[in-house]
Amino acid sequence: MWSYVFRRVLMTIPTILVVITVCYLMLHLTPGGPFDTERKVSEAVMANLQAKYHLDLPLWQQYLYYLKGLLQGDLGASFRYADWSVNELVAKALPVSLTIGGVSLLISVVIGVLLGTVAALRQNSAIDYLVMLIGNLGSAFPSFVIGPVLILVFALWLSWLPSGGWQDFELRYMVLPMALLTFINVSTIGRVMRGSLIEVMSSNFIRTARAKGLPTRTIVLRHAFKPALMPVVSVLGPLAISSITAAVVTESVFSLPGIGKLIVNGASNRDYTLVLGLVVLITVLAVLLNLLVDLAYALLDPKIRY
Amino acid sequence: MTFKLSRSAISASVLLALASGAAFAAKVPAGTALAAKQELIRNNGSETETLDPAVAESVGANNLTRDLFEGLTATDADGKVVPGVAESWKQVNPTTWVFKLRKNAKWSNGEPVVASDFVYGWQRFIDPKTASPYASTYGAFILNGIEASEGKKAPSELGVKAIDKYTLEVKTPYPVAFLPDVVSNLNLGPVNKAAIEKYGKEWTKPGKLVSNGAFVLKDWQVNSKVVIEKNPQYWDKGNVQLTKVTYLPVEDGFADVKLFQSGENDWVYQLPPATYEKYKQELPKDIRNAPMLGLRYYSFNVKDPVMKDKRVRQALSMVIDRDLLAQKITADGQVPAYGVIVRGTAGADVTAYEWAKWPMAKRVEEAKKLLAAAGVKPGSKIKFTYNTSEYHKKMAIFAASEWKSKLGLNTEMENMEFKVLLKKRHDGDFQIARNGWVADYNDATTFLTLVQCGSDQNDNGNCNPKAEELIKQGNQSTDPAKRKAALTQAAKMIMDDYPMLPLLQYTVPRLVKSYVGGYSTKNPMDRYRSKDIYIIKH
Amino acid sequence: MLLKNKQNALGDALLAAGLDALPVAGRSPWRDARERFFRNKAAVVSLVLLLLITLACVFGPMLLPHSFDDTDWDAMALAPTWQNMHLFGTDELGRDLLVRTLIGGRISLMVGLLATIASVAIGIAWGATAGFIGGRVDTLMMRLVDMMYAVPYLLIAILMVTLLGREFYLVVLTITVFSWMDMARVVRGQTLAIKSKEYIEAAHAIGVSTPAIIFRHIVPNLLGIVVIYTTVTVPGVILTESVLSFLGLGVQEPMTSWGVLIEEGTGVMETTPWMLLFPGALLSLTLYCANYIGDGMRDALDPKDR
Repeated sequence: MWSYVFRRVLMTIPTILVVITVCYLMLHLTPGGPFDTERKVSEAVMANLQAKYHLDLPLWQQYLYYLKGLLQGDLGASFRYADWSVNELVAKALPVSLTIGGVSLLISVVIGVLLGTVAALRQNSAIDYLVMLIGNLGSAFPSFVIGPVLILVFALWLSWLPSGGWQDFELRYMVLPMALLTFINVSTIGRVMRGSLIEVMSSNFIRTARAKGLPTRTIVLRHAFKPALMPVVSVLGPLAISSITAAVVTESVFSLPGIGKLIVNGASNRDYTLVLGLVVLITVLAVLLNLLVDLAYALLDPKIRY
Repeated sequence: MTFKLSRSAISASVLLALASGAAFAAKVPAGTALAAKQELIRNNGSETETLDPAVAESVGANNLTRDLFEGLTATDADGKVVPGVAESWKQVNPTTWVFKLRKNAKWSNGEPVVASDFVYGWQRFIDPKTASPYASTYGAFILNGIEASEGKKAPSELGVKAIDKYTLEVKTPYPVAFLPDVVSNLNLGPVNKAAIEKYGKEWTKPGKLVSNGAFVLKDWQVNSKVVIEKNPQYWDKGNVQLTKVTYLPVEDGFADVKLFQSGENDWVYQLPPATYEKYKQELPKDIRNAPMLGLRYYSFNVKDPVMKDKRVRQALSMVIDRDLLAQKITADGQVPAYGVIVRGTAGADVTAYEWAKWPMAKRVEEAKKLLAAAGVKPGSKIKFTYNTSEYHKKMAIFAASEWKSKLGLNTEMENMEFKVLLKKRHDGDFQIARNGWVADYNDATTFLTLVQCGSDQNDNGNCNPKAEELIKQGNQSTDPAKRKAALTQAAKMIMDDYPMLPLLQYTVPRLVKSYVGGYSTKNPMDRYRSKDIYIIKH
Repeated sequence: MLLKNKQNALGDALLAAGLDALPVAGRSPWRDARERFFRNKAAVVSLVLLLLITLACVFGPMLLPHSFDDTDWDAMALAPTWQNMHLFGTDELGRDLLVRTLIGGRISLMVGLLATIASVAIGIAWGATAGFIGGRVDTLMMRLVDMMYAVPYLLIAILMVTLLGREFYLVVLTITVFSWMDMARVVRGQTLAIKSKEYIEAAHAIGVSTPAIIFRHIVPNLLGIVVIYTTVTVPGVILTESVLSFLGLGVQEPMTSWGVLIEEGTGVMETTPWMLLFPGALLSLTLYCANYIGDGMRDALDPKDR
């Protein structure tokens, strides 16, 4: 198994290379540079700014320069936030995104699996429809609508929680963003769970179990649950990544200092190094998460061996 | 301020700041009960790009450097020039100024602030290696400033000199009556050479930043907050009420207001569009609104095949009903504008088109004639470019609707990201483009740069050599009245060429908690020092 | 067969593809599936609602007195009223919200339809080719799919829209680029299973060319799984369009979409709630319907033998 893990990790290198090359080219092709500002700067200043960030070199040299830094673990200096290096910016933003994304994903798995199971066992009944009505909230309402509604209710009307902001991992500030992300994730997990459990429940080995006269609870818990979880596990990887990256909306609605915020600001400021740094980070995270999911698969399914 | 100053500044007259600094600081009206907790949370609109005063560009960054650092002069809550580190100054001849520094000004590490700190700060600011976006803007008022900012002269040749430890001499390339106003900008503030050399790029970080303002940096969490605290070393600390100020970087206007309503924020950066009337009714004690020195306008690309005809530009400008726009569309107290100079600007009078007073029907009729004469038929297409923003979008739809309903022109609206718009504007790749300008300092020249020949800020591509000559003559004049007449006439001449379509003068509608004292609605530059702010008992 | 359907669907209402497929197939498993589908009341009701919404969006604007871009400075931000037929009220520029909601619906549904068709087509071609050819080609092609998953799609979407402009078809293209991978994965898996069937070997034996085998024999047999995943893709694609609008990357004014309308409405939901309510309700209803239909299809067409 370890050699498999090693091979997978090794595989990330070409992936990252391709991804950053594409992003690199796209960034530089996009009109408007990092130093195009409302107040047009004089040519001398522009030349110096460009020299400072090696933008005066031919594109391929800049690219090599960037790769060289990357090899040494240096993501470079931010163009926009001139006082910070990309490493520093990422190091501050990542824990925020990981905490919010990670915790909400855990909660979503519990709730989603529960809702999916209830719905599946009462397929096509009123309970099924109702459960999925609630479960599907997240995939039927855009997050930028759910978010402000949560703020309206819990921060402005009830005054229970702050309407946004961030205070050193204080729980009060994390509740609403986590709730929003949970809404989104629950609907995916719930639907996958429902579908897969329905499928498992109609398979031959469950029929056999039923024929033996086992009670439904035993059948579900002891036989059906584990195989039904397989598809859920397979969507966890993409969901985890999107919990971090697609948190753009969550983070702007709640004014959080996470990765999503940096991505959008970086792209609109043409902060080349910041954007590339984030791309590298997210790609690595994504590959690792997918690896974890595959290993979890192996734990659940004895047929799969690496 | 500048106006008062220039009137008495005839030739080499002497002007002394009349009182010692103490009289200018946070004036808490007698009888005001102060709150026990003097802490303020204000939104700064976005994450600051830097805390280095030399390179600070955005409004937000300048708000912070204004609290952390103090220049030769400062502006108080009403926008008046007051002494800063300099306790007095005089114009010893038309192009030479002498600033006397106070002896009790200290850095946050306890060392005294001396004239050479300013010399170092200014030379560093102008040095092309520092690459400050403002180098040429303020460099223009200091002898050899432009040349130094372009690297044609060494920074050491900049017209600033330490006569002794507490005397600073500044030379200007021509008589600059409003220099005391210019040097209140923190781009021209002092910086601590020892700290910069010790920490290098890291010098602006908490625990390392050495500053001389009323506040010191306590904490800086990117995209979360910047916290500053009262500076115990500050010379005028007795007049500083606030003990702590937290700056938030919230960009979304609606999120900003929600933080305000839930008590997480005392000071909204700017109200989102179309909400002013609502909050005026709901929160009458908290709403504040004041005009500022800024102009919303549309640039015509005078090199465009259609727009190169002045008659077309004039027709397009004539039919926009600015009153309706201000009252109904933006509905936030903005003032209609018909010239490049806005109300409250020193150094020139507001000019307006003659047709501004005509009834709309007559304006439309005239505009139709102009279009017909230029050969532009109803049904023709024009292209309007703007950047993504609810505010700009509403104004654009309004303009397009005016052009369509009154002139029969079809407007193709092109909405793009801000950076792309900037690029297109600077490259002259547009027909009509949204534009806007907020004064860097209170003088007409800041607005004239928008329409002057070959100016970096001129996106229209127009040039009126006669007006250019007038501006040059005006600037050479030591008589403020003559200068004002010349600049006003130049502004009118240029505007009669219709290089741009002036729309509205900016206002800053925002919510500030009623218990925040010291906020004035008479501040034309919207520049507040936390030094002047206090919390009333509530 | 599927290709033919696609062309019908282009001119037709949303999701016609899935429905038409049933009678055309005319095989008994399909009849079973149809029966199973119609047993799911939520799915049937959803289907009817969705058809009604589509019809309203297509024909509604022609029947109403207002044009979607007519401003009226005397009727700004008007609450819903019978007067002047402003049944949904007006927006802040006095434009009739009912017409704008329906026109916006056209755009959103068209984006949903076109981006789904495009990503389904790419997904099928990619997955079937990879699965059928196998070996190195398969590894390489699926590596690219993994890579696409790892890319922070929102960032690339921002760059693409900025780079290319925000014409309607470019928005479709941008969404498509990040929506085809699920389909490719599923189709590949299914192809691998079908490949080993006897009739494919037989086709090989009599010398049928590889493309012919892929498109004439494998693709038609993928229909079940394709229909399921198509219905799952639609709501995701529509939601993505709304997120792009939230980030200010939607279609150009005066054209609009549900995402753009909702984004405008969210900010003013306390003063002029109808600006959020009507477009929001229609979008959510559509997404709910699409989700229920998707679940219904999945239950009905599950490829596993029951």
